[in-house]
Amino acid sequence: MDDSTPPPPAPPADSLPPPPPPPTMTGSPTDFLKGVVGKRVVVRLTSGVDYRGLLSCLDGYMNIALEQTEEHVNGLVTNRYGDAFIRGNNVLYISAAEPL
Amino acid sequence: MLIFSVFKTLTDQQVTVELKNDLSITGVLKSVDQFLNIRLDSIKVLDEARHPHMMAVKNCFIRGSVVRYVQLPAEHVDTQLLEDATRRGRCTAKTMTVTKTTIALTVLSDLWRDAQSCIPTLYSTIQVFH
Amino acid sequence: MDSAASGIQEPFDLIRLSLSERVFVKLRGDRELTGVLHAYDGHMNLILSDVEETIMIVDQVEGSANGQNTVNIAKRKIDMLFVRGDGVILVSPPLRT
Repeated sequence: MDDSTPPPPAPPADSLPPPPPPPTMTGSPTDFLKGVVGKRVVVRLTSGVDYRGLLSCLDGYMNIALEQTEEHVNGLVTNRYGDAFIRGNNVLYISAAEPL
Repeated sequence: MLIFSVFKTLTDQQVTVELKNDLSITGVLKSVDQFLNIRLDSIKVLDEARHPHMMAVKNCFIRGSVVRYVQLPAEHVDTQLLEDATRRGRCTAKTMTVTKTTIALTVLSDLWRDAQSCIPTLYSTIQVFH
Repeated sequence: MDSAASGIQEPFDLIRLSLSERVFVKLRGDRELTGVLHAYDGHMNLILSDVEETIMIVDQVEGSANGQNTVNIAKRKIDMLFVRGDGVILVSPPLRT
């Protein structure tokens, strides 16, 4: 991030793009949220359960509407929902699951 | 506000309140407020053997936040009215009054209760914490 | 975009479309409900009828790693139920065709 520090030796080509592409760290959290609407996301709840799906929309409480949702509990798919409404207070984070 | 109105229409009906600590109390709904705090009369605890300390309690005030469910008398819930009011978005007590004559009585009894509340009254109060 | 086509602009619209439909509700405390949705508000307080509640009780088997737990399932039916919103994790409408 800081250009003045000597860059670390460039690693060889084996670590090219990490699975989730390096996020562009510009923009506010709000910009991020605007950017992920309509994209595939992972929503992690405080309970540790993950929901993977297409983010249809969200509001200021982080209430979330997802489409084509899969519920993952320790790596296993435990449920599928066509649409899912998640109450915002349960949300730990929203992570983009495809390039923005 | 909508749900508050619903509970107001159910005053003097028998309901079962299930608390987050798994205690279930059946009683007559005497009043409710905007926080969905609930006053019940003539109460009976579901599993009395497990909650012997509740046996002597005849009425109670339940803090809204400790409620998990309230089982309602289905015959006194107008589901069509609820759906319309929910779709319309904001529902005031008024929008429900016009459709149900019983509510006029509820409003009167509200006024009466307000007047009564000037008189100090002793209620056994249960405080249940999650 | 799908969501634009279906007219969903905010998450609550998803639930509005489910009024008078059977919905699935996931609650805190390993509880799940299915029932017909009649009312909700901004707290996600719900009123459902013809409800079936499922409670999952996980018994940890002594001295074993995960995977050895037995899950007991208790079910019960309730005619008309108010659900306090603070316990709600997820609401899912029926699959639309």
